[in-house]
Amino acid sequence: MSGRRSKWTGMAYLAPALVFVSLFVMWPMAHLLWLSLTSESLLGGGEFVGFDNYIKAFTDKNFWRAFWFTLSYTAYLTPVLMVLNLALALLTVRNTPLRQLTRTVIFLPVVIGLASSSLLWFWLFDQQVGLFNKLLVDLGILSEPLVWFRKSGTGQLAVMISVLWKVVGFGMILMVAGIQAIGSDIIEASKIDGASGWMQVRRIIIPLAARSILLATLISAIGSMLAFDQFYLMTGGGPRGQTFTSVYWIYQNSFVRFDLGYGSALSVILMAVIMTGTGVQLWQTRKGAK
Amino acid sequence: MKPVTLPGLGRLLATASAAAFLAGAAYAEDLSMWVRESAADPGQLMVDLWNTSHANKITLTAIPDNQVVTKLATSVRAGDAPDLVSFDLIYMPDFMKAGFLTDVTAQLAGDPNYANHVQAYKDIATFEGKTYGVGFTPDVSVLAWNKDLFAKAGLDPEKGPTTIAEIHEMATKIRALGDDTYGFYFSGSCAGCNIFVTSPMMVAGGAKMLPRDGADTALEGDAVKVVLETFKAMWNEGLVPESAEVDTGANFVSAFVGGNIGIAGTGGFLISLMEREHPEFNYGLTLLPGITAGQVSGFVGGDVVAVPANGKNEAAAREFLTWVLSDEAQLEGLAKNSILTTRVDLADNKYFADNEKVKVTAAALAAGYVPWVFHFADMVNSDSSPWITMLQQAVFDGDVDGAIADARASMLEIAGR
Repeated sequence: MSGRRSKWTGMAYLAPALVFVSLFVMWPMAHLLWLSLTSESLLGGGEFVGFDNYIKAFTDKNFWRAFWFTLSYTAYLTPVLMVLNLALALLTVRNTPLRQLTRTVIFLPVVIGLASSSLLWFWLFDQQVGLFNKLLVDLGILSEPLVWFRKSGTGQLAVMISVLWKVVGFGMILMVAGIQAIGSDIIEASKIDGASGWMQVRRIIIPLAARSILLATLISAIGSMLAFDQFYLMTGGGPRGQTFTSVYWIYQNSFVRFDLGYGSALSVILMAVIMTGTGVQLWQTRKGAK
Repeated sequence: MKPVTLPGLGRLLATASAAAFLAGAAYAEDLSMWVRESAADPGQLMVDLWNTSHANKITLTAIPDNQVVTKLATSVRAGDAPDLVSFDLIYMPDFMKAGFLTDVTAQLAGDPNYANHVQAYKDIATFEGKTYGVGFTPDVSVLAWNKDLFAKAGLDPEKGPTTIAEIHEMATKIRALGDDTYGFYFSGSCAGCNIFVTSPMMVAGGAKMLPRDGADTALEGDAVKVVLETFKAMWNEGLVPESAEVDTGANFVSAFVGGNIGIAGTGGFLISLMEREHPEFNYGLTLLPGITAGQVSGFVGGDVVAVPANGKNEAAAREFLTWVLSDEAQLEGLAKNSILTTRVDLADNKYFADNEKVKVTAAALAAGYVPWVFHFADMVNSDSSPWITMLQQAVFDGDVDGAIADARASMLEIAGR
C-alpha cells in the first residue's frame, strides 16, 4: 500500500516536468517527423509522400555542401575556443579583485544577443568604415583594408573571430567553476611534490575538470553545428553560396521556398547527426575516464 | 413582488439583447494591421491620418520583412490573422493562390477611384479574375546621379545617362577623378536590390524576365546580356568599389549618399530621405535606361494592402481599402509626404508641382513593370536564387553566357513546380 502511494507521489512530482517535456519537446518533435514525410507548404496544402524528402536530401548537393561547411566551421572553431576557454580560465581562476573584474569583462559579450554582436562585427569588418580593418592597417598587418566577405575563407575567419569574442566568456566561466571545485589540498600536495605549473595543468587540473571541459566542448560543438544568425547577417551565405550552413539551408527551404516538408526532413537528418556525434563524444569520454 | 413570467422573461432578454447590440454598434471597432518593417514609416503616416478622422482606430504593428510571409501564413491558418496587412506586392500571387486574402472584387468594381488606380497594382492584385487588394505605399526604381561629381568630371550635371552605354561612359569619367571616387554602384549580393534597379534596364531594352510557369520563357532578349556585359566591364575596369561584391543591401542607399559614387540605381524613397537627412545633397533622378535612348522602365514596388481571410472585423477593414484610394489618403497621406500616389489622376497635384524629382518617379511608375509570377522569393529574392547567382557569375566570375543559361534553366524548373 505504502509502495503504491509512494509511486503515485513520485508520479505527482514528475508530472509537471513530464507535461512540459511532452508538450514542448516530444509533441513538436513528433510533428516535425510527420511533416518530414509530407509535401507540406508554408502556404498550406501538401500530402503524405513517404521518404521522398529524405531521398531528395541525399542527392541535394547544396545541402551537403552546407553540411560539410558547417562541419569544417565546427572543427576549426571548437578547438580554438576550448584552448582559449581553458587559458582564460587558468589566468582568472583565483578570486582576486582584478581577476574577478577581468572575468566580468570577458563574460560581458555573452549577454549580448548573437544577432546584435554579428551586426556589430559586420560593420567592424567593413572595408570602408570598419575599425577592425583600420586597426590591422595601422598595425601594418594589412597593406590596405580587406573585403573580408569576398572569399569564403576570410568570410569564415571573420565570423569565427566575432563568435570567439561573443562566446569565449561562457566556456571560461564553466571551466573556472570546474577548476575551483578541485580541492586546494590536491594542488598544494602537487606543489610539495615539485610539480611545475604546466605539470599541474596537465596532470591534475585538466583530468579533474574534465566534466566541465566536456560540457563546454559539447555546448560549443552543438552551437556551431546549429550556426545560423552569424552567417545570415554577416555573409548572407556568400560568396556564391559557399558559406551556407546546414540550418541556413533549412531556413532557405522552409521559409523562403515555403517547402516545410523538405525543410523538416533536413532538420531530422541534422538532428540525427548531432545526436550521434554527441553520443560518440560522451561514450569516448566515459571510456577514457575508466 | 410580481413574479416574472416566461413571456415576460423573453421580452426582457430580447430588450437586453437589442440594447447590447445597439450599444455595440455605437462603439467603434479597433483594427489591427501588420506592415513590413521597411514600409512602416509611410504606413504609419497613412494610419495616423486615418485615425484622426475615423472612429475605428487602427493599431499598426511592424513585422520584420523576412518574417511577414511566415507570420501571415501561420496566423491565417490558425484563424488569428490581423484585420489588415500591408506587404511587399511581389508576394501577392502566392498569397492569392493560397487563399490567404479576402476577395474585394465587388467592392472595388463600384469604387470610381479604383478606375484611376495604377495599372501595375491592379494587375498584381488580380488572380483568376478576382481582386484581393490595392496599392498602399508605392515605390518605384529610378537612376540617381551625383551632380557635383558630374560637374567635377566635366559632364553636364543637369543631364543623367539615357542608355546603359552612357552609364558606362560617364562612370569612366567620374572614376578618373581619383582613388576614392567611383563611377557606379550596385549591391552585388542583394537579390532584391538588383531586381529593383538592374532588371528594369533589361526590361527597358526589351527583355522578358521571369517565367509564369514551366512552359514559359525566361531571361529572353539581348538586353539581358548587354546589361550583364556592361556591369562586368565596369567591374573589371574598377569603376565599382570592391565592397560592392559582398553588399547584401546594407549599403544599397548609403553608398550613394556617401557622396563618392557617381551613378546608382535607387528608389523613390530616396527623395524623402534626402529631404529629411541630406537637404544639401546635389543629385538628380532619371528613369532607368535601356540599350537605346528613349527606352525606359522601372520596377513598380512598394506595398499592397489587403484583408486577410478569417479576419474578425472584415467590414471595417474593407472600409480602409476604399479610403486608401480616396483623395484625402492620396493627397494628404502620400503626396504631402513626398510619396507617390497610387492614382494616376492625382499624380499631378499641388504637392508635386515644384518637385521635379517626384515627377520623375511618377513617370517611372507609369512606365514601370512588376512581374506577376509565383515562387518569386525562390526565383529572385532568396540568397541562393538563380537571379542573384546569374548576376554574380556573370559580373564577378565573367561567364555571362553560362550564367544566363544556368539561371534560365533554374527559373523554369522553379516555375514548373
